[in-house]
Amino acid sequence: MLRATATGDREAFTQLVGSTRDGVWRLIRNLTSDPAAAEDVLQETYVAVWRSASTYRGEGSARAWIHGLARRLSARSWRRRAGEPSTLVPLQELGAQAGWGRDPEELTAALEDRQLLASALEQLAPHDRQILVLCDLEGLSGPEAGALLDLTPSAARVRLHRARLRLMAQLRGGSDG
Amino acid sequence: MADVPAARLEGGLWCHEVLERLDAYVDGSLPSDQRAAIEAHLAACDQCERFGGAYALLVGALRRGLGAARPLGSERARRLERHLQRILEES
Repeated sequence: MLRATATGDREAFTQLVGSTRDGVWRLIRNLTSDPAAAEDVLQETYVAVWRSASTYRGEGSARAWIHGLARRLSARSWRRRAGEPSTLVPLQELGAQAGWGRDPEELTAALEDRQLLASALEQLAPHDRQILVLCDLEGLSGPEAGALLDLTPSAARVRLHRARLRLMAQLRGGSDG
Repeated sequence: MADVPAARLEGGLWCHEVLERLDAYVDGSLPSDQRAAIEAHLAACDQCERFGGAYALLVGALRRGLGAARPLGSERARRLERHLQRILEES
């Protein structure tokens, strides 16, 4: 369908949108906390698919190519909205907030609930949510995520670790529960 | 400010050193000697073993995905369709 879209086949494009839009939306929505901003990125993604389908070289699936576009457009949207990490909390304190040294039963129960996990993810700061979605939900490597976020591979790894700890703290119901 | 747990030295590593390397341990990207040191620490330190288990569970839960929690919805799908229709008409 993507190859047909590249030739200007509108019917193929419509079918392509219909068969991929749910997955593309999930990706963008997980990357972008504001639903209105996420919807803008969704529309921009499919406009970009229509206009640049001819640049698809057949390396990887059409779905992967579209998801790559969605990730890049999401990253552009974050940069427009800014928001970098502010003060650097020591890792040991982050660990303690996440439940290090405490009974993890409450946390492991929370992990069974996908809605609770999604809600905790949404409440994280954008820079934490983005790295988690790119690496843990989307399966990008540290260097791949770093390239999208303008981070070195080692900075991406540190950010991912700290973001996981903040998500654990969020799931425990706050920073010092 | 949350209380930092008491530090223990097990397997040649302090608890905070295990915390620093937990991501690489769970992701399987540590060299074998560092991995063995962490495993020796975890075998002897209950607080790090339990926390490491919870951390690994979190990563596993994220990797299984949150797909069902994010439906597109018919209204948003219609808006996308209308927007793309305008783009197609302009092109």
